[in-house]
Amino acid sequence: MKRFSVVGALCVALAPAAVSAHHSFAAQYDATKQVTLQGTITKVEWMNPHAYFYIDVADESGKVVNWAVEGGAPNVLYREGWKPTSLKAGDRVTILGSRARDGSNLVNALSFKLPDGRCVFAGTSGPGGTGTPNCTVGRR
Amino acid sequence: MIDKAKGKRQRAKVLKVKGTLLPFAFCLLTYSITSAQWHGYKTPGIPRLPDGSPNLSAPAPKTTDGKPDLSGIWQASRAVFDLAQAVKKGETVPFSAEGKRIFSERRATQSKDDPSARCLPTGLPVRALLRTPFKIIQTPPVMAILYESRTTFRQILTDGRPLPEVDWPAWNGFSVGRWQGDTFVAETAGFNGKPWLDQAGYPASNALKITERFRRRDFGHMDMEMVIDDRTMYTKPWSIFGEFILQADTELIEFICEENEKDSALLLGK
Repeated sequence: MKRFSVVGALCVALAPAAVSAHHSFAAQYDATKQVTLQGTITKVEWMNPHAYFYIDVADESGKVVNWAVEGGAPNVLYREGWKPTSLKAGDRVTILGSRARDGSNLVNALSFKLPDGRCVFAGTSGPGGTGTPNCTVGRR
Repeated sequence: MIDKAKGKRQRAKVLKVKGTLLPFAFCLLTYSITSAQWHGYKTPGIPRLPDGSPNLSAPAPKTTDGKPDLSGIWQASRAVFDLAQAVKKGETVPFSAEGKRIFSERRATQSKDDPSARCLPTGLPVRALLRTPFKIIQTPPVMAILYESRTTFRQILTDGRPLPEVDWPAWNGFSVGRWQGDTFVAETAGFNGKPWLDQAGYPASNALKITERFRRRDFGHMDMEMVIDDRTMYTKPWSIFGEFILQADTELIEFICEENEKDSALLLGK
């Protein structure tokens, strides 16, 4: 998890109020419906206009469901300290995100929290872009 | 004696290996230093403070003809998605009835129909104020603006030609520019009325004319006033303002919006 040291530092220093978004946040996501996903990354799509991360999450009964997680534009994330390989399949993370309005297993990430407790800025353009209450490292 | 001789042979062998590997290792190191520097390479020609950081307060550079040189990579000091955040404090946008009607519809549906969400070009006002940089390349006949966002560009022609009679309106319009003292003035018309001015949904028609005024205050800071004149959507011209900060030691990064666009089908709007 050493690779996040720079990102973590930037989280504190640079997290902007809003970052690049190619679409209206509110048209797709509901900021009042936040969910915490804890699981294992299965796939990373480091491509514009948004990075996408897929994560296997076990529910209370043990059934594993794959969620899609939308992040910021890779260009913006890269300038904030991310690398295309910062998160990769097999990494365990906790993600706080806003659910999609269509009710599917899709969230817009507010933050990525690592097992050691560090929080990584996710690049959302929605409310909470400056950090979230559950992600103290990412708060300004 | 046998051990000493053996030790000598071993040391010689190690030295030989070192002699072979050291240049190779040096090459690798050099390669890794020079090849890993696209974003992060120290931009030549930038005045620096004793600690090596860019001196953004140094005087603005001039071209050989004495005009300010706007060349460089710039980014808004504050990202804006809603132009109401970029007007002068206390001022409001002077909507016409038609402009107000369209804007209200777009707000009611959370901007779900924004062409930009389909990777089509953003309007010039919001494009100037994104969280991605743009690069100005200033030459005598043209001021070129390369936007990292969507890997798009504009040409502001400075060869003395007037704005054209447009028979094929364009997303970015047609731009000509001139100097007024140390301020660069760009006028743009010939828009096709398709792009929204911002993500909030401020509308524009093909009657839109935009006048931009750029003034490079010093090496690292540039001010912009953008006058929006569209008598179909607004009752009078109105202005937004932006400040740009020079982005040292970086370069534009490719941004292909269509590559992973999967949101537009999911924009419900309410």
